[in-house]
Amino acid sequence: MPPVVEHVELDKKPQKPRLGGGGPGKIPHRWGFGGGDDGDYGHHEDFVSRRDRLRRYRVAMVITIVSVTALFVGVTTVYFLRGTHGPWDPVEKTYLENWQPVILPYRILIINTVVLLLSSITLELGRRGLLKKSEFVSMGIRPPKLQTEFPWIAITALLGFAFLAGQIIVWHSLRAQGLYLASQNPNSFFFYLLTGLHAIHLSGGLLALLISLFGSWLKLRFDSQQIAVDVTGWYWHFMGVLWLYIFVLLRFAM
Amino acid sequence: MGTTKPTAQGLLRRYVFTTDHKVVGLQYFFLSLAAVLVGTFLSLLMRIHLVWPQAAIPFLGQIKPENYLAYLTIHGTLMVFFVLSTVPQNGFGTYLLPLQLGASEMALPRLSMAGFWITLLSFFVLIAAFFAPGGASLAGWTQYPPLSAVPSAGPGQGTGTDLWLVSIGLFCVASVLSSINFITTTLKMRTRGMTLMRMPLTCWTWFVAAILILLAFSILLAAVIMLLLDRNAGTNFFVPANLLISGHAVDHQGGSPLLWQHLFWFFGHPEVYIAILPGMGVTSHLLSVFSRKPVFGYKAMVGAILAIGFLGFMVWGHHMFVSGMNPYAGFAFSSLTTAIAVPSAIKVFNWLGTLWGGRFRFTTPMLFSIGFVSLFITGGLTGPILAQPALDAYLHDTYFVVAHFHLIMAMAGLFAVFAATYFWFPKMFGRMMNSTLGSAHFWVTFFGAYAIFMPMHLLGIAGHPRRYSELTGVQYVAAMAPLQQFITAAAIITICGQLLFLINFFWSMFKGAAAGANPWECTTLEWTLPSPPPREGFGNQSPLVYQGAYEYSVPGASKDFLMQDSTATPQ
Ligand code: HEM
Ligand SMILES: [Cu+2]
Repeated sequence: MPPVVEHVELDKKPQKPRLGGGGPGKIPHRWGFGGGDDGDYGHHEDFVSRRDRLRRYRVAMVITIVSVTALFVGVTTVYFLRGTHGPWDPVEKTYLENWQPVILPYRILIINTVVLLLSSITLELGRRGLLKKSEFVSMGIRPPKLQTEFPWIAITALLGFAFLAGQIIVWHSLRAQGLYLASQNPNSFFFYLLTGLHAIHLSGGLLALLISLFGSWLKLRFDSQQIAVDVTGWYWHFMGVLWLYIFVLLRFAM
Repeated sequence: MGTTKPTAQGLLRRYVFTTDHKVVGLQYFFLSLAAVLVGTFLSLLMRIHLVWPQAAIPFLGQIKPENYLAYLTIHGTLMVFFVLSTVPQNGFGTYLLPLQLGASEMALPRLSMAGFWITLLSFFVLIAAFFAPGGASLAGWTQYPPLSAVPSAGPGQGTGTDLWLVSIGLFCVASVLSSINFITTTLKMRTRGMTLMRMPLTCWTWFVAAILILLAFSILLAAVIMLLLDRNAGTNFFVPANLLISGHAVDHQGGSPLLWQHLFWFFGHPEVYIAILPGMGVTSHLLSVFSRKPVFGYKAMVGAILAIGFLGFMVWGHHMFVSGMNPYAGFAFSSLTTAIAVPSAIKVFNWLGTLWGGRFRFTTPMLFSIGFVSLFITGGLTGPILAQPALDAYLHDTYFVVAHFHLIMAMAGLFAVFAATYFWFPKMFGRMMNSTLGSAHFWVTFFGAYAIFMPMHLLGIAGHPRRYSELTGVQYVAAMAPLQQFITAAAIITICGQLLFLINFFWSMFKGAAAGANPWECTTLEWTLPSPPPREGFGNQSPLVYQGAYEYSVPGASKDFLMQDSTATPQ
């Protein structure tokens, strides 16, 4: 039996893989995926560890967005199924027609949309600035004014609150039309369901913004604050897109 | 650290509100242990009631029909959600995934902690339903409306059902959070050299199951929210028009109960694979370890895992053949369902291939893994039968279905959990479990599982419907009483047999023989650490990986296995 060679050089050509899955040999270079030790035990100011942490949270955010999308796909499917034809009435032996059109308060809705899209821009400005600064910080260069981006975040949060307030006005005006959540008309309760779920998800983003905004009081490190703003930025843009989708859906399906 | 006495707050941080994935994994484990004890106790009550309907149970009195249905609901919910979706994935996965990937933490440690505490809350909410006015929900783990949507439909349909829905809503949130963590960890936390195709198959199954959880539980959450709104806010998603309950018209109008069925089974079928995929991973892993052979067809296994995950989302309609669906839809669902038998068969074939010509070590975990394969085949054979709409029209909602899913999901899943427990116990607690007690436990459980569930096929073929507390005065059902008595006797014996496990578990925790770092001579990275692993895992020295996960009986090597971080290159 040939002897085992211990401690070969890492860069030797890989052996032919055997059955046990991806064979022995050198450590492959890694592009993008995977990577190194986990940041929480390393030096926090370390360049690689911060980048790693950022990437990790971004991946997690993308996955979160997939999950929220699945939730809304579920609701939309029911909306369409419920809308195409009414349900069977076993007593009257007909399909019921309880799908009644709804007059949407367009003016407020459009203002709301503009507010939300604007907030996406302000948040993006803040996100980019912070990202740049945190790269400097991790290279050991401390920019003279570290937190000048936070006004952008504060403005975003205010716009977010304005959007939520606008939605409350919309719900009021629907109720003035006699359209309630408790209703026989699917258009009515689907409106509340879709906009309500969106508002709840947006509030989550708002909470994250507030946490990063008041992060220094909560003893968050600068790079954690930056990561929080960064991934919340992604989430926030997604909320904007989701809102456009809901708006279009409600506009054309009702 | 060191000699200073730990403070109360420190202990709390270390063992209760902890972000240590090893402790969180054990927390999930013990939560599931509690759930399985309650769930088993309920099944015992049901079995006793089925054969002695008049018997008075100490403290509980005589079991009324609504009690029986409440036990049925909570039994199913506990077992499906809090046992089979919790311990294989979140219990063992949280503990082992980072270690097997060479990481010292989950990607998002705080999310692990949050996931566990929300799951715990959800567990208490579920159990609280027993103490609510009217008791727990009667609508089974599938909660079909209108029964589940109208509070006046039965004693448990008021607060009890609201609590069920809130509990499962919380469970959905917790599961999604934890699945985000699993996916991120698998993508981002692998150590250098741990390519995807060098991952142990356990990691592959946790990864794919996490993707299924992410999508399926998000849909269930949507459905649960809508049902809660139907019940409490007057919306009309699921309640049909002109519904009469005890002679009173319900003032809902125009919803469709079938919508719930579609949403539920779009979640429900992936859910059964969420329950079994980690078990499949564990089985592949252990069969290889204890046959001292590489996994047969590693790549085919990965392909089969992915195919099962993918196809799993397209077959939900096979639970609804008798719902009046379009026959063409039924045909499509039937074909797709039969197609899923192909990757399942690939897995079985590869397990047998792994066993073929192996140098076996019949340890307790090996026995349970072989048991898994046996039960998976037995339960799997009835699947394609049920997948034929014509046959299912007869067999649907009979004990035949109960037999199918208990063998393939409940029993096979539990066998994988037992195998994993016996196998990783030394890593978790630094001690071995007793192998004599272990084999005794295996044989009791193995024959018990077959004795309980095989006769149920006959009950089903003879037309015994499921989910009835009593069918008095039905002639052909009365004729099946002896078989029912046999099943109950087998269940009582098997449940008592589980004491062997509990005794072994807790005794070995304190008194078992000390285990070294790698008692099973296994290749994966968790075995490079001392048992139990230190808090910081690999610490600052993350391992480098040079080998695939299943390098056993390598020709020319000095030992019969190569650890994944071994640099040896045998010629
Ligand atoms: C070989 C592949 C399989 C096929 C063709 C198959 C087919 C079916 C069909 C057609 C039904 C519906 C029966 C009815 O309600 O009338 C069913 C029920 C069920 N199956 Fe399978 N199955 C397979 C594998 C599995 C696996 C791997 C699991 C879980 C690990 C599983 C778990 C279940 C459960 C839990 C139910 C019953 C749910 C309920 O009504 O409460 N099946 N199966
Ligand atoms: Cu299914």
